[in-house]
Amino acid sequence: MFWQPTSLQEAVRLLADEGGILVAGGTDVFPALVDRPSPAGLIDLTRCAELKGIAIGADAIRIGAGSRWSEIARASLPRGLAALQAAAREVGSVQIQNSGTIGGNLCNASPAADGVPPLLALDAAIELVGPHGLRRLRVGDFVLGNRRTARAADEILSAVLIPRRLEAGGSAFLKLGARRYMVISIVMVAVTLVPGPDGRIADARVAVGAASAAAQRLGGLEARLIGTDPVGSAPADLVSAADVAGLSPIDDVRASAAYRLDAARELVGRAILQAWEAARA
Amino acid sequence: MTTVSMTVNGRQVSADVEDRTLLVDYLRNAISLTGTHVGCDTSQCGACVVHVDGRAVKSCTMLAVQAAGSSVTTIEGLATGDELHPVQAAFREHHGLQCGFCTPGMIMTAVDMIRRHGGQLDEATVRHELEGNICRCTGYHNIVKAILDAAAKMQMPAAAE
Repeated sequence: MFWQPTSLQEAVRLLADEGGILVAGGTDVFPALVDRPSPAGLIDLTRCAELKGIAIGADAIRIGAGSRWSEIARASLPRGLAALQAAAREVGSVQIQNSGTIGGNLCNASPAADGVPPLLALDAAIELVGPHGLRRLRVGDFVLGNRRTARAADEILSAVLIPRRLEAGGSAFLKLGARRYMVISIVMVAVTLVPGPDGRIADARVAVGAASAAAQRLGGLEARLIGTDPVGSAPADLVSAADVAGLSPIDDVRASAAYRLDAARELVGRAILQAWEAARA
Repeated sequence: MTTVSMTVNGRQVSADVEDRTLLVDYLRNAISLTGTHVGCDTSQCGACVVHVDGRAVKSCTMLAVQAAGSSVTTIEGLATGDELHPVQAAFREHHGLQCGFCTPGMIMTAVDMIRRHGGQLDEATVRHELEGNICRCTGYHNIVKAILDAAAKMQMPAAAE
């Protein structure tokens, strides 16, 4: 069966009554089938009006979970969200960005999901709607591991909320793959830096993806960056091996674990410099 | 089975298909437009690119029912009678194909690219935006030349105004 609800309420009811797999852009669901037939029960969320649109509210920027990457890339957003928009432009290829959604990226919870590091670096939260109401979770508490999230079977991710207090900062997203596009990332990094009145870093968020089961923040490094001015430092001097030691990358066909750690360290350093340049511009 | 109706290349079409039918299979099998190709079935190669309501998408990444009511353009919808679309003409002129398998997707991507950039394209942008289309004859060089030439020709009428 295939259902195409036109409201979130209807989608929640269908999911509770019929079960089935939620699909939006389909860029994870359909390729994973290769030439096998689609699963029996699909609930298509692309016509739910409540999941669409990007709205700048008083305290948060609300991105409907059904927003496609190309819509996010082309939206007029505060400069602090540059890392998220850069990630949007690097998901798959243009045609994938025209289909894939931010909500699907989060719910699919690939360790290499491009959306997760920038959302961690922006302290974003998500909204889940189920038969018993609505709850909010921080992205770090939602994406739990490889293909594992805190979403209950009867819940639908409805929106991503980005607090506005970081929007005046500078942010950067860097992704390393075997090719520039259409690859699964070896490692990716997002950094948000907010300058203080003294011209030094007042707030720092650093997140690394594809180097552990779920993307994670580097808390020790973030704390150390506060009060510093990274101008003139080499990337490798900004980040120590200990800073990335908490990551747990895997060895696979794309890269060895040791290479991923090295790459993470270098990319974090470069992203700090890039975010800081943007923050001071 | 579900009756799925949409507009394809300006023509209203309708066919009874299983819910799980991918858009690309609907186009090829249900309404017999076989110009759209299936290369990888995993949304990597781009041979199946079509436009859905003006968006370039990989038609193996979408069910036909998801496109119900939409306006779809395929490679068959580009030419005007016997006259090739400027991008098709440029691919022929610059020999932008070898075996031709990837060509429909390449051209549909190129048309979308030129439209979005208003014809203002450079080689780096073209190569970047072609990342979602794979040519295993490795004929990219002439494909890029063809797209740049078509972009230049397509913006000429606007520039002359």
